[in-house]
Amino acid sequence: MNTAKEDVLFQQVDDEGVVKEITGPESRKYLIFIIDNLKIGIDAEYVVEILNSYSATYLPMMPDYIEGIFNMRGQIIPIMDIRQRLGKYPKGGESLLIVLDYNDTQLGIQVDAVELMMDIPNASILPIPSRSAQKLVSGMCTLPDGSGTMLVLDCEQLLGP
Amino acid sequence: MSSNDILDMYIYETNTLLEQLENIVLDAEKENTFSEENVNEIFRIMHTIKGSSAMMEFDPLATVSHRIEDMFFIIRENGMAVVSDANRPALFDLMLHSIDYFRVEMEKVEAEQPLNKDVDSFLANINSLIAKIKGEDSEEAPPPAPEPAAAEPVPAAETSGAVPRSSEGNPDFRYELRVFFDEGCGMENLRAYMLVSAIQGFCAASDFLFEPAGVESDASTAEQVIENGFLMQFRNPEDREKAIAEVRSAGSVRSYQPHDFEPAPPKVSIPAEAVAAAEPPAPAVKSAAPAKSAPAKGQQGSAQHQKESLISVNLSKLDELSAIVGEIVITEAMVTASPDLKGLHLDAFSKSARQLRKLTDELQDVSMSLRMIPVSNTFQKMNRIVRDMCKKLNKQVKLTLIGENTEVDKTIVDSIGDPIMHMVRNSMDHGIEENVQDRIDAGKDPVGEIILSAEDTGSEVIIQIKDDGAGVNDEAVLRKAINNGIASPDVEYSHKEILNFLMAPGFSTNKEVTEFSGRGVGMDVVKSGVESLGGSVTITSEQGKGMITTMRIPLTMAIMDGMEVSVGKSIFTIPINNIRSSLKITENDILHDSVNGEMIKIMDGYYPIIRAQEFYNLPEGAERVEDGILMWLESGDCSYGLFVDELLGEQQIVVKPFPTYVNNFDIKNYGITGCSILGDGNISIILDAGGLYTAARG
Repeated sequence: MNTAKEDVLFQQVDDEGVVKEITGPESRKYLIFIIDNLKIGIDAEYVVEILNSYSATYLPMMPDYIEGIFNMRGQIIPIMDIRQRLGKYPKGGESLLIVLDYNDTQLGIQVDAVELMMDIPNASILPIPSRSAQKLVSGMCTLPDGSGTMLVLDCEQLLGP
Repeated sequence: MSSNDILDMYIYETNTLLEQLENIVLDAEKENTFSEENVNEIFRIMHTIKGSSAMMEFDPLATVSHRIEDMFFIIRENGMAVVSDANRPALFDLMLHSIDYFRVEMEKVEAEQPLNKDVDSFLANINSLIAKIKGEDSEEAPPPAPEPAAAEPVPAAETSGAVPRSSEGNPDFRYELRVFFDEGCGMENLRAYMLVSAIQGFCAASDFLFEPAGVESDASTAEQVIENGFLMQFRNPEDREKAIAEVRSAGSVRSYQPHDFEPAPPKVSIPAEAVAAAEPPAPAVKSAAPAKSAPAKGQQGSAQHQKESLISVNLSKLDELSAIVGEIVITEAMVTASPDLKGLHLDAFSKSARQLRKLTDELQDVSMSLRMIPVSNTFQKMNRIVRDMCKKLNKQVKLTLIGENTEVDKTIVDSIGDPIMHMVRNSMDHGIEENVQDRIDAGKDPVGEIILSAEDTGSEVIIQIKDDGAGVNDEAVLRKAINNGIASPDVEYSHKEILNFLMAPGFSTNKEVTEFSGRGVGMDVVKSGVESLGGSVTITSEQGKGMITTMRIPLTMAIMDGMEVSVGKSIFTIPINNIRSSLKITENDILHDSVNGEMIKIMDGYYPIIRAQEFYNLPEGAERVEDGILMWLESGDCSYGLFVDELLGEQQIVVKPFPTYVNNFDIKNYGITGCSILGDGNISIILDAGGLYTAARG
């Protein structure tokens, strides 16, 4: 009974109503944001919202890079200073917040600015050896429009259990 | 789909009746008798189950319940005295086995699996017990001669007359098997012969007899087979067992009855017994028919009454209701505390606002109570487990229940059933000493005790399973942990750490899933089960004295009464239940203990002071005690003062659990159990008084 429904979830129907099998996209959309002049991209699939203003409530007994929590339309979302998380110095002042949702785990990350959304072919993302144990950055790529290079943030590492 | 509704009702109703029945039987077993009221109740329950099972076309269930009904009819008519003391344990056992049987079948019904059509061995048990009861009722014949005469598996009312006359049993071929074929299947003699050929495949012709003997060739024997069944007599019990397997795989077999022939010394009286015993079943069975209509009416009346006072509600509707009521509470706060009204004196408005507040409170209380059910249901189930395990392990243990009426959210009750069952089983298996003498030597009561208790502290529900057994043997546990690779042989472990090994995955001491345990074994399953509810499990034990397992489960679904306090810019909520009082103190009131901790004397006791700002490393907060206020908190055993800046006021808040990401950091260990969104949109952090104390003081 349920299997029929499950099959539908994994199918795509394009404009003509023809069912297409998903084999895996060759390119994915990334949201590119800026931290300290570094461009970092994150899979757009996991981005829920981008907020300008929010008020963080301090939450004690959490790691330094967790600024606190905030109320997003009734939901409690933790706020992470991604700069600190990546080992940089905290900046303070106003930041933009990108709210992510990965497998029902939500997190907001504070960034300096958001640049744009771009389609990046999977092939152009090269793995980089990471010195830090967490491997938050799982890859690096040259931006197709020639504007520089970008680091790819690994959501699984960031938000996973 | 309406048919599913009926099925759901049937399952729900039957399961409820089975629980009632089990409680009656367990209580009756303690008294070693069924009171008149018990008997009537059981009769009614079986009657209802029979009727509804028949309506749902679950014939095996209807048949079994019918037989039990018959049995209790006899007890009702003749009084409990008809069951001799020797037979009573068998009676109680049979009732409990029947309940188990029904439960298993109910599970199959729920899972939409086919039912076990073969109830004959079960029925044979019931029938033989009935025969034993009746056998003694009619004369003094020694019990081991249950007449197959009384054993008719088909609903008894119809088949009164033709009681099959057993031929004289043959002492050389004592292991008998009587087979009845389906009504109207035709050629019963040939079918019987087919069985004979099959059996001859493994059993020598000299090792078994059958009757009527002429089934191969004589068609008239079909009549005999229809009336009296096809009788086979075996010399060896193993052959009979194999024959039973053959019979079960044969087609068109309605039922079969194994029977052991015991030659009674005076052979002459056997036919007389057969006749005498044959008589009581017939009238008893005939009178069962008119009697049925009478209890049916009686049962209808009381069942009706019961049905009117209860209604079963879909849990999702209650979830919706809770969510909406939660929103109403917040919105009400937003309205009455609206900044637009600041500074205005509005008498009529204030009056109405108070009224609104009062009604919202009531609404919230009632809607919360809808989801709360007492834990007694789950606790009572443990009675059965303890009883069964006492028998199986040959130990004597009594179960004491405390706080059964504590009400807890339904989702929690559903999830703690298995963990509690596992803990009780642990205590019975490993805790209580095997040898009663060991207990007496240790100065304990020879009867072991397991205490199951539930307590509501306001912010949590605490469930404890305490036994007065041998306690945890640290060495044995450590050894096992090392064997399983969980512990290292070179390291020194503290008592607490050793106890924690019990809950490590891979530790479990039992590899089999027995009829008693839940779906998985191991304390680690208990721990993860409780943790998935947001709770925690701790074990304490004293060797020789016993073991205590404590499960603490927060009431996260709650709307609760809390007191808002502030420390610097942070707002915290403390459950009202945990607050004894608040006091303004001065520097002079503070005393110091040996490690430079702060203490205060309140009334006749000395209590430690915990400074919230210090403990939580908050950026701001009052430094001097004169600038703040001391909250005297209490939770369970601990009582202490928490120093905060200001009391902001009492609030009803909707508890929101922390997002999963936050929970990964074990924030609960620091006394922070959740947060709440205040009327003005700000977030307040909810404190757990007990957890805070433990974290601060260790």
